[in-house]
Amino acid sequence: MASLTASATPFVVVRPKWYRDGQVVRRRTVTFLQRAFTYIVLIDIAFVFLVPICYILATSLKTSQDLSDPTIVWIPSGFFWINYPLAFFSMAYVKSLTNSLYISLGSAVGQTISCAFVGYGFARIRFPGRDALFALVLFTFLVPPQTIIVPLFILYKNLGWINTYNPFVIPSFFGHGLKGALFVVVFRQFFKTLPWELEEAARIDGASAFGTWWRIMVPLAMPAVVVVFLFSVVWHWNDFFEPFIYLNRMEYFTLPMRLSVLSPSLDTATGGQASELFNEALVMAAVFLVILPPLSIYLFTQRFFVESIDRTGLVE
Amino acid sequence: MKVAVARREVDQLVPEPRRRRMSLTTQRMFEGYFFVSPWIVGFLVFLLWPLFQSLFLSFNELQATSLTDLKWKGIDNYKEAFVIDARFLPKLWQTLRNNLLDVPVIMIFSLFSAILANQKIKGVIGFRAVFFLPLVIGSAQVIKQLFAQGVGGATLTQGVNIQELVFEYIGPDAAAGVSDLLNRLLFVLWKTGVQMLIFLAGLNSVSPVLYEAARVDGATDWDRFWKVTLPLLSPVILVNLVYTIVDSFTDTFNSVLEYIQMTAFAGGFRLGYAAALGWIYFVVVFVVLFLVVRVTNRYVFYAGDRSG
Repeated sequence: MASLTASATPFVVVRPKWYRDGQVVRRRTVTFLQRAFTYIVLIDIAFVFLVPICYILATSLKTSQDLSDPTIVWIPSGFFWINYPLAFFSMAYVKSLTNSLYISLGSAVGQTISCAFVGYGFARIRFPGRDALFALVLFTFLVPPQTIIVPLFILYKNLGWINTYNPFVIPSFFGHGLKGALFVVVFRQFFKTLPWELEEAARIDGASAFGTWWRIMVPLAMPAVVVVFLFSVVWHWNDFFEPFIYLNRMEYFTLPMRLSVLSPSLDTATGGQASELFNEALVMAAVFLVILPPLSIYLFTQRFFVESIDRTGLVE
Repeated sequence: MKVAVARREVDQLVPEPRRRRMSLTTQRMFEGYFFVSPWIVGFLVFLLWPLFQSLFLSFNELQATSLTDLKWKGIDNYKEAFVIDARFLPKLWQTLRNNLLDVPVIMIFSLFSAILANQKIKGVIGFRAVFFLPLVIGSAQVIKQLFAQGVGGATLTQGVNIQELVFEYIGPDAAAGVSDLLNRLLFVLWKTGVQMLIFLAGLNSVSPVLYEAARVDGATDWDRFWKVTLPLLSPVILVNLVYTIVDSFTDTFNSVLEYIQMTAFAGGFRLGYAAALGWIYFVVVFVVLFLVVRVTNRYVFYAGDRSG
């Protein structure tokens, strides 16, 4: 990486001072204007992504008078914190957070291991029917989950998996689950970029195929492992469609699912006072509490997201 | 003589591998199947079998209340979807139209922001981090709540009445589509995270040598975008296009999918009919994808791969 940036830096040409009168000075103004323009557009785009978050934060601190006052849009008249504890308790925050963690961490671990395993097979080992099988992997990506949801529901119901986390975690260990095909592709592309020598050396020294994968290739694939794990966690965290089908008892609800039953659960939490307390501000406080965990993980791991595809060599 | 003895001793020390007979190719073949076997098992159990079963169910009547009570209906479910059901076709049409509007917006916006985020200027890493925020917190439920509160086009187009302008200059039909898009614009733009990542990687893989050569030949930045960046990026654009189409058609924030879910689980409990709707939707998505790939592939430039 370092050598790449170094080679991309243009040579510094020292010119006599008079040379600046003509061409060079004009060019410099243009680049300054260009740069200013670039920043303005970058800020504009950033605005698109920051506005909803600002809106969530601002609204969550409003009183009900503020909400009905059209002059108050962004800055509430005071910090009205009470919505946060209310949302916290009516969502059964700790319980739902644990549920969300079970699903996203369990599935992410499963998908990372299994997709690395399968992706290695597709990337490095030649066997009859490999390309046809890989075409099937791409095909699975195209099937909308809604098309197969009914038989899956029946299958899981017969297995007694409804209201458990098995429908999410078990398919992940087979390289399926939410966007599993995509992760297989990511690992395949990554393993394809690695040099053959280490692997061959390991095989000549008598390592088994599994041993080579586990001891040599997986440690080398750490960048891809991190990326797949993080994406898997985030996508499972935000997933909504499947949890809503397989989990229908409130004590198993994930955090985002809780948003849809906010009003009735507030009613039970406060003993029937929801009609007075429930308003937009409370909903936004709840929304903020829901996005808080992924947001805080993102603050520490954003480097991996930003660099992810560079690191995995997905585009080659 | 001595050598022979040593040879024999070595032979005794090294145990004969038991599976000597198997050729290396066969061995590699088994290894290959060993590695992909979990996926194949998963494919059979969690995809292929459900897919066929769903096709079978779509010709039957099945209530969620009693899962064993199957009744053969032939193509009645499909007939119902196209002829009797007054809600399905409009929803399907609406989804198709929305996605046809959304996909280009997502593609252009993400390419545009990826190019900007690829500039070598100070603080660009910070901007990138902001651009990928929706990827992390763009949960369907969160978006639904925001949408319900009207955080849509209004916050973006404050003061400019675009809908009226379009109505005046282009016509009422276009105005309806545009206003619909504007209302969803913020959320459409919020679906650009992955696309932006893929474009960024694609932009990084374009060799700086080509830009240098174009510059020497007197190409402006504008020329270089159209003549160098875009052709070299075209395979990435195709990948992104497919991803975007699949992603928007499987998005939960989508009236057909909501309707299927409702038919099957919330209120309707008509599993057979829901399976039929699911299959119709799948075929529609597949046809759209096929057409798009077929048409786009003609314009894709594979550097070095193809001669013509």
